[in-house]
Amino acid sequence: MTATAERLSIDDVVATVARGARDADEHAAFPVEALGALRASGLLGLVVPVEHGGGGGGLAEMADVTLRLAREDMSVAMVFSMHCQQALALVRHAGPRLRAEVLPALGRGELYLGSVTTERGKGGSLLVSESEVTADGGLLRVDRDAPIVTGGTHADAYLVTTLAPGATSPTQVSLVYATRDQVAVEVTGEWDPLGMRATCSAPMRLAGSVPEHQVVGEPGGFRDVVATLFGPAAHIGWAAAWLGAAAGALSRVVRLVRSPAGRRQFDTSSELLLTRLARIRARLDATHALLRHTTAVVTTAPDVTAPPVQLLVNALKVQASEQCFDAVHELIDLVGLRHGYLRASPLFLERTFRDLRSASVNYANDRLLLVDGSLALLDQEVRLA
Amino acid sequence: MDPGFATLLRPFLKYAGAREITAESRLHELGLDSMQAIELLFAIEDGYGVTLPDDKLVDATFETAGGLWAEVAVLREPTDAP
Repeated sequence: MTATAERLSIDDVVATVARGARDADEHAAFPVEALGALRASGLLGLVVPVEHGGGGGGLAEMADVTLRLAREDMSVAMVFSMHCQQALALVRHAGPRLRAEVLPALGRGELYLGSVTTERGKGGSLLVSESEVTADGGLLRVDRDAPIVTGGTHADAYLVTTLAPGATSPTQVSLVYATRDQVAVEVTGEWDPLGMRATCSAPMRLAGSVPEHQVVGEPGGFRDVVATLFGPAAHIGWAAAWLGAAAGALSRVVRLVRSPAGRRQFDTSSELLLTRLARIRARLDATHALLRHTTAVVTTAPDVTAPPVQLLVNALKVQASEQCFDAVHELIDLVGLRHGYLRASPLFLERTFRDLRSASVNYANDRLLLVDGSLALLDQEVRLA
Repeated sequence: MDPGFATLLRPFLKYAGAREITAESRLHELGLDSMQAIELLFAIEDGYGVTLPDDKLVDATFETAGGLWAEVAVLREPTDAP
């Protein structure tokens, strides 16, 4: 990755992200300049194979970049990692014709992909749809209402879940690629959340027609894409974003405590300060170890649908969401009200805290734990992956 | 496929409706989800007196009714052991 990393000039991207973060949060505005920098750097093509002009990266490289971005702005990190998840789906599951049409521009980092997988009335379940599609002379007619579309107004193309044409059950879900000029895009509501404000994940309606070869994976085969790629990539990307946000927060606090002004305010021989720092640091190290191990297991496992692997992937999501939030929660106690709670504090723990509060409900931990309980019963030997 | 196997499967397939369950029936499409897999395993254990080994409990085993039955059928074959 060294030669590629130089070409991608991630330091410039991170600097741009840092400059725009506070404004984007305040106005719940999409970080347009950060996306521009990501495009210009080629990082949007990070996970596209080198032969298509991309960065040749995989899940580990996606996590590396996400961790860096999240130190400055967790929203941008989420936007980036979710884009990579979509890009990987195209790389691994698009048919030859769609690959030829899309991968060169994607590899150059010119395309930002939005994800349209949420649907009203299905309670957050990724694997069912009520959105019918009609097939007409080689075209699929899509009309899709989605309550949450991250970066939807700024995407160049979308991956959309819909029912397969002629589906006989709500689980026959297809993943469809649609470019911005193939669908009419209408924003149907507002995005005014507690945190993650710059993801600009407003509800949208997409309507239009796409050629049948733009189905990604088998028609009705979205379940396979989720089981083998979408699920693991989402949890790895999210965990990296949460860990990066918490690591950035800890770094800023440590710098403050060690600064000349900080040493007058904080007693670095205080046992309370030292044990708090130690516990916070350990939360991040444990999460980091879990993130790296899970990435390695997912990359090499012969079958990622085996319960031990699924349990690990889900444990990463649940653990990272709890540990990273708790770490920032404790950092606020450690530095106190002025540095930890005020919006204007240069430590921006307040924003990081609000952003990280989304982690447990960004696909609800409660729902995931029910699945994990069932999976745990399937593994009597307890084969730790 | 044992005729009783389709009957055993039906309660776990919420989208099957009145459709016939055949060896080719795709279980996930008909509504089997990860939360129910354990209940289905208990039903198989109680109904056929066999326990599927842990390493068979991957998505591929649960893809079709016939595929799952094949795993059950192998376990039901009498062995030479005394």
